[in-house]
Amino acid sequence: MAKIRFEDVSKIYADGVPAVDRLDLDVEDGQFLVLVGPSGCGKTTALRMIAGLEDISSGRLMIGGEVANDLAPRARNVAMIFQSYALYPHLTVAENMGFALRVRGQPRAEIESRVKRAAELLELQPYLGRKPAQLSGGQRQRVAMGRAIVRQPAAFLMDEPLSNLDARLRGQTRAEITRLQRDSGVTTVYVTHDQVEAMTMGDRVAVMNHGRLQQVGAPRELYDRPVNLFVATFLGSPPINAVEGRLRAEGKAVSLDLGGSVISLPAETVRQRPALARYHDRTLVIGFRPEALALGSAEGRSLRGTVAYREDLGSHLLFHIDSEAAPVRDPSAVVALGEGEEKALSGDGKAGRLRLNAPAGVALRPGEQVFVTVDPAQLHFFDPATGDALYADSTAN
Amino acid sequence: MARAIVRGGGVPSGSAGKQGMRRAEARSILYRRVAVIVILAVFLLPLLWLLSTAYKPTRDIFATPPTLLFSPTWSNFTSVFRYFDLPELLWSSIVISLGSTVLSLLLGVPAGYALARAKFRGAVGVAYFFLAIRTVPPVATLIPFYILMRDIGLLGTWWAVILINTSLNCAFVVWMMYAYFRSSPISIEEAALTDGCNDWRTFLTVALPAVVPGIIASAIFCVMFSWNDFLFAMFLTRAETKPISVALLSAYGTKDISWGTLGALAHFSTLPIILMMLFLNRYFVQGLTKGVN
Repeated sequence: MAKIRFEDVSKIYADGVPAVDRLDLDVEDGQFLVLVGPSGCGKTTALRMIAGLEDISSGRLMIGGEVANDLAPRARNVAMIFQSYALYPHLTVAENMGFALRVRGQPRAEIESRVKRAAELLELQPYLGRKPAQLSGGQRQRVAMGRAIVRQPAAFLMDEPLSNLDARLRGQTRAEITRLQRDSGVTTVYVTHDQVEAMTMGDRVAVMNHGRLQQVGAPRELYDRPVNLFVATFLGSPPINAVEGRLRAEGKAVSLDLGGSVISLPAETVRQRPALARYHDRTLVIGFRPEALALGSAEGRSLRGTVAYREDLGSHLLFHIDSEAAPVRDPSAVVALGEGEEKALSGDGKAGRLRLNAPAGVALRPGEQVFVTVDPAQLHFFDPATGDALYADSTAN
Repeated sequence: MARAIVRGGGVPSGSAGKQGMRRAEARSILYRRVAVIVILAVFLLPLLWLLSTAYKPTRDIFATPPTLLFSPTWSNFTSVFRYFDLPELLWSSIVISLGSTVLSLLLGVPAGYALARAKFRGAVGVAYFFLAIRTVPPVATLIPFYILMRDIGLLGTWWAVILINTSLNCAFVVWMMYAYFRSSPISIEEAALTDGCNDWRTFLTVALPAVVPGIIASAIFCVMFSWNDFLFAMFLTRAETKPISVALLSAYGTKDISWGTLGALAHFSTLPIILMMLFLNRYFVQGLTKGVN
């Protein structure tokens, strides 16, 4: 087992673009850390740095208390599971699993017994004599897992190992990997772009964007207290609703003008976020998760809107509602999302697009007018220029 | 005329339509087969003509118009064994072909791998430069090479032919293996590195087995080029080291050797290479198309 530590680590490519930009991150001994972010955010590069497959431009990488910057991959005692599984095509399942032990000159009996144990754990016994080409995607994934387990390494490095599986198998394997990690207690760094995997698998989640670490913490902490609009929008499915609002203060009472409807903020919400005091009579970005919204009537804290379309998800309905609240004017500058995600966030750019979960029986059709109530205790506030969340007096914490 | 247009352009209906379609299909198959036969005839007739001379009595070889029906004779084959030391000629051809193939692979496969995995943009250019070496007219290299071999005392030995064939074949192997390694996933090599292999072991135990079809294809090309080489072998070998390709073309007119005898000797020169191609043509075709990808 080993602790992994990035100290101000950067990776800058020949064209000057930083793939990883001054990364400081600790992975404690035995911890399951999920590195998550959109494509090109630097998460895989960071993982490959730990494996020794990517040079480090500056900073220090420590594995088990030792500087590992210049250690050859074979000297790091880490096992990597690749997105493509990278099984050796000319070797059988048993030979694939025992390869690392054979390279290290372990006795044949020892190799056989460890391969057998791993095969039992992963239910691979019937396939030990087969070549990778004769296996299904799920079986190959398990062989890749087995190859890593057999080695009893100091750390597992997993690079989107579930992305080639179908949805059903992905859910099942997600649980299997989590269980195996808990049982073995081996330090694990798991890279994914799937926020469901990030939320469900890791002890801690590190969100990256444009090569920079945005936030690291327990999944619930990131969901409930994102440090910026990027983290808020990246985690959560369906994503957080974000609109622009204006903060008004009359005496001690603080309210939020969402373009037509005014929501008075509970004293507790205001007290917890001293930073809001600097935004009186200013526009800021308001975020609220779909579960903070409910269908309501034309009173008090209601926002008026029109149903744009609905998605029947079986257990519940997801409504997309164009509300009277103003959309985030420049979501790309603040959020740095892909084109499609930007559109999902802002709708057609004219109305603040909201997403709302409703019970399966709700009979609303596209084009119908609705009133939506917002739970003010579940609001998130972001600076419109930087996207930083507003909590304490500093812009972010 | 109008009727014909309507019949041709309309949608066929019922059994008459089906029959028409079937007839059109049969006609198309017929055209294709005739085309194949014509193309095969163009390529194969000279070879068949050469081989058939081996079974013809001398008067039939020069008969005008050519005789298609003749009573076959084995006498030309008897002459081959009488006038040529066939085992020695074949042995020379085998030594030269295999020697240059082994050397070309030993040098070219690692070089192709190094280029494929090199982290500089000019690697593709270097790979094409190697291919360009193969296009140099052989005769242009012959004279300096002849002098070089004479000066270092290798002229007349198998080594001279093996070395010059290697210099050209190896360039081709580098280019071909570069394409094969480029299309082989690097992730399995990275897996081997994290599994404890050093660079050499990764190359030998993981990268090489993944490109075995490429190595076979390269070997076929090398054997073919070297076996069929006449120019280098003609000038760089002597009587005891000459291969069958040289014997075939240089023997005519000496020792009462006839066209029929040469036709018989041609069997031993062409059949081994044709047999090799028949068994390994899958790899040969793969090798030809790989560089395109």
